[in-house]
Amino acid sequence: MPFAIGLLSVLAIACALSSLVTQGQAYNWYVSKYGERTAAVIIALHADDAYHSGWFLALTGFLCLNLIGCSLVRLPGLIRRFRRMGDPDAMGEPTATEEGINKPESVFEALRMPAPTARKNGEGREELYSAKNRIGLWGAWICHIGILMLILGFALGQWTGKQETVYGVPGQTKPLGDTGLAVTIRDFTVSLREDDTVEQYTADITVTEQDTGRSEDARISVNNPAKRFGWTFYQNSTGYASRVRVLKDGKDLQEEILCVGESLAVADKPDLIIHFQAFYPDYVMADSGPATRSGQMNHPAWLYLVAYQGQVLGMNALMEGEELTIDEYTVLFDQPRNYTLISAKRDLFTPLALAGGLVTMLGLMLALYVRPASLKAVKDGEAWTVYGRCEKGGVLFAEALRDAADAERKGKPEGKGEQGT
Amino acid sequence: MIQTENVLFTIVMVGYFAAMILYFVFAATRKETLWKAAFGIQAGCLILHTAALVIRGIGAGRLPMTNQYEFATCFAWALCLVSLIFIHKYRFPALGIGAAPVIFLIIGYAAMQSREVRELMPALRSNWLAFHVSTAIISYGAFGVSFAVGIMFLLREKLKEGSYWDQHIPSLQKLDQIGYRSVSLGLLFLTFTILTGAIWAERAWGSYWSWDPKETWSLVTWIIYMVYLHLRLRRGWKGKAAAMFAVIGFICVIFTYIGVNTFLPGVHSYA
Repeated sequence: MPFAIGLLSVLAIACALSSLVTQGQAYNWYVSKYGERTAAVIIALHADDAYHSGWFLALTGFLCLNLIGCSLVRLPGLIRRFRRMGDPDAMGEPTATEEGINKPESVFEALRMPAPTARKNGEGREELYSAKNRIGLWGAWICHIGILMLILGFALGQWTGKQETVYGVPGQTKPLGDTGLAVTIRDFTVSLREDDTVEQYTADITVTEQDTGRSEDARISVNNPAKRFGWTFYQNSTGYASRVRVLKDGKDLQEEILCVGESLAVADKPDLIIHFQAFYPDYVMADSGPATRSGQMNHPAWLYLVAYQGQVLGMNALMEGEELTIDEYTVLFDQPRNYTLISAKRDLFTPLALAGGLVTMLGLMLALYVRPASLKAVKDGEAWTVYGRCEKGGVLFAEALRDAADAERKGKPEGKGEQGT
Repeated sequence: MIQTENVLFTIVMVGYFAAMILYFVFAATRKETLWKAAFGIQAGCLILHTAALVIRGIGAGRLPMTNQYEFATCFAWALCLVSLIFIHKYRFPALGIGAAPVIFLIIGYAAMQSREVRELMPALRSNWLAFHVSTAIISYGAFGVSFAVGIMFLLREKLKEGSYWDQHIPSLQKLDQIGYRSVSLGLLFLTFTILTGAIWAERAWGSYWSWDPKETWSLVTWIIYMVYLHLRLRRGWKGKAAAMFAVIGFICVIFTYIGVNTFLPGVHSYA
């Protein structure tokens, strides 16, 4: 137990500190943000990818070992305690005792105990006994098993799971990594509200198994993924794309669809690069630089960058209908539209992690809210003495027993039922 | 409609402030009528607060739990609800002395946020929103009460047995149990919150856990309260130590709620 407490504390501190460091950046990024010395420490400690680092995995591994050990060690004792609760002779030290009770049945009833069984004890005295909520003894154990399943499901998912992304505009078909599947984007809609805010992104896709040619259609939107060929497809994000045409001496040379951030190498002069830097549907030149007033295509503008043999030649914005001329080449941007980025995931162990979460939840409910209690009444002359034992929350149980006993002595039933959960 | 909600919100804020002052004066003067008046004002404010939330929900056409203002006002509402239930259930009127200032601080924080009703971004348009956020609100409310009980425990320790406060503050043993029960409630609902959030994230982004700062700090909070439970069970860490742990735990809850949103932006930045 002290080891588990120490381990949990170290894990909490590790998680908290790691959250303060931006994850997954390059060394130079940390240098510019924290300085060279701190950046070196971050990299040395793998704090740039803390949750996948060796030391974090080791901590999680120790936690799993501890959970397994704890569950195994506690199991026999737990079974014994569970069985003992049904045996009046093995009740153990009472949490509270009340004497001078005439009708013990009313105390059992007030505490919402099951109907007691009557018997003569070893001393030949009349005795009533009942126990309830024995299942509550299993709460912490079940919770441990649930956490173990959760960690196992997550770890196996991280290890064996696969994730791919594909992006494009309607009409395009692209392979989904090396999965053997291809995704055709049939349609992509951005539904806007009256106030110009986005209500939903919806993509109609066709997933094709390249080997067999078998294909299935799906409609996906945010919060509504679709499962096809064992993969789950998500509408992940969106951005702008545009048609880019290159003319040489006034004649068509090439035509491509570029998404923002993509580049095009001129077909007969590959050292000449046209980079599609940004797109503004309702362009305005603000103090801070180019911006857009709205999401409507009122005044579209394309921000481009031209490079030749790795040297930047220029960067500027083109309005609708404007051309970019570089020697004998003319570049035209038109037909702006939204592209969609679709992610696909295959993780066979997500159900295990989910089951682990649910089992943890069940364990916690049993551990925290199902309080095992036993009540024994022994006839002592004309009156009865009632012994109560509660495995959790003894003070409140004793108070409830006292209230029930007082009510019985006064001759009125007390239905408080503190242990009724 | 929003105008009505604003008026109700202002009344509620003033009401919570008045209840807090009455609890303080009760602590100073020990006049019975004062805590009863404070309790009554809080109960009345809870009804008006509920009305304000319902009106905002109708006006917005959705559950009012999606931005900083809405979460803060719901948090104050839940804290008020849970504290009133605990006061009633455990016959513990002085709990208000610890809980009322926290309620007022949270509603004050809500007052500083923008009350503009905004449409939901696509990721938030999900039925999981109701489960995820409402369980978080109850959880935070219960942890707020455990904080107040912890404070009352530390105060009760300074008071002599047989004093006036015996009628209004339960014994240290019972306070310890009440604190444990409020932590239990908070922890159970926090687990619900994390679980429903993971299921929702899986549907929305295809990743049920991505170490987003809010996720991470929720886990940190969960671990802290788990350590609290282990210490109670196995190391006999009851009484003062447990009370102090509950106070520290709630500070962590507040950081998870306000600190993370302010200093560690992530996918929960709108919350």
